[in-house]
Amino acid sequence: MDLNVELSDSVLQHLREVADLPDLTGTRYQLQEEIGRGGLGVVYAARDTQLDRRVAIKVMDAAWAGEARLIARLEHPGIVPVYESGTLPDGRVFYAMKLVAGAHADGYLAGNPPLGERLRVVQRVGEALAYAHNCGVLHRDLKPRNVMVGPFGEVYVMDWGVEGVAGTPAFRAPETSLDQRSDVYALGALLVFMLPADAPPALGAIAAKAMRRQPEERYPDVAAVLREIGRFQDGLAVEAHAESPWQRVRRLAKRNEVLLWLLAAYAGVKFLLFFARSF
Amino acid sequence: MWGDPDTAIGGNRDRFPSTQVSLIASAAGEPLAMERVVALYWKPIYKFIRFKFHKDNEAAKDLTQGFFASALERDFFQRFDPSKAGFRTYLRLAVERFAATQHEAENRQKRGGGVEFAELEDHSASTASPEEIFLQEWRRQLFVLAIEDLRAACAAAGKHTEWLVFEAYDLAEGERPSYAELARRHGVAETSVTNYLAWARGRLRGFVTGRLRGVTSGERELREEMRRLWT
Repeated sequence: MDLNVELSDSVLQHLREVADLPDLTGTRYQLQEEIGRGGLGVVYAARDTQLDRRVAIKVMDAAWAGEARLIARLEHPGIVPVYESGTLPDGRVFYAMKLVAGAHADGYLAGNPPLGERLRVVQRVGEALAYAHNCGVLHRDLKPRNVMVGPFGEVYVMDWGVEGVAGTPAFRAPETSLDQRSDVYALGALLVFMLPADAPPALGAIAAKAMRRQPEERYPDVAAVLREIGRFQDGLAVEAHAESPWQRVRRLAKRNEVLLWLLAAYAGVKFLLFFARSF
Repeated sequence: MWGDPDTAIGGNRDRFPSTQVSLIASAAGEPLAMERVVALYWKPIYKFIRFKFHKDNEAAKDLTQGFFASALERDFFQRFDPSKAGFRTYLRLAVERFAATQHEAENRQKRGGGVEFAELEDHSASTASPEEIFLQEWRRQLFVLAIEDLRAACAAAGKHTEWLVFEAYDLAEGERPSYAELARRHGVAETSVTNYLAWARGRLRGFVTGRLRGVTSGERELREEMRRLWT
């Protein structure tokens, strides 16, 4: 055998594609197509030949197997469930997961959902993050492309990162040593992304506090962010936002809208009765 | 690109003159690692210099060789700090500085002697930047070396059919033969063809990783380079 390799661009591209494909020989899965690339690895659609259903197969470097196993153990309605894990002949590890249908958060916003729906998505994301933090897992790369909203309104946080994942600049906290508050920063950036242009200033203030440059000036954890969003939804004052008197009146009025309408109706009826008696 | 052909140096079996290997190897003190660096980076650096500074074949070759010689004299490789940048980036920036200095000195000499520097034409035929060309040539050279490793492994293990199937299918320019055609050609079942290809591709990936491992500072840099390679 003699070789004089001169690789053209087209052959090089072909080799890059085929050498990266996982060899699923000996598993129950048949490879279909690549559906995404993330910080941790490549995701493919595949068919589970035993259960005759489509699944997602995530393939990653063997060096990350330990942390990836930790991520695979997370069980939460907002985290894509893992069915099975294994090792490929070339040493890479793979996870078979539920194939989630739906739209990424950026695509979801194209439908211009109401503010309440947008906040619901952020809250579901926050709940998944808070659960993962309790299990000792950070996301490290939270961004709209890693949030999927399903056809029934279900929300999944995807592509959980591992040590060494660089993150995405617009959503990445400035510090190099990441902890829970780095994910708080990313959640704040996600909140900014999800808010409409005319969002109430209190929500902008929550996002701004979550995204403070100094980690110790941010909310201490994701639960604190969720509590603030909850206070906003309940019409209560938000700690991150110093209200003007007028804003306070407007918020109280909105919070007690039904009572005010009843009082107005009562006053109106009394007024009419007063005039009826006078004439 | 410029009308004169690229150098064969850094291409395959005769990647670089043996004198250069021994010079670098003895000076670096780590023959294997140094040889790997030169094997992988000679051609990308040569191409980068040709494109960035509009040099012809011989001038680019001289500059590339000059860079490696200068790098060894100045302990350039020992000064690499992985906490500041990846090795590939470190190398490219150093090449850029070295070639720019040489280029400027050459221009000064020509201007002083009353000779106008004639820039080579047709350098804009490609829309890629010199940095993109460097990256693409790095990818290409990695695969060239890994294919050589695969060929040697096939020869050593007596896997001639596996190699021939891989060569005929994955290295084919233009239209690829069908699996059925390859099965007929080599007298094996069609499923064997797919198995041979899967095996060869898996080994190829392993050799690519091995080549990268030899020129990266650790697991983190290796992972980043792997991502850069596949995406």
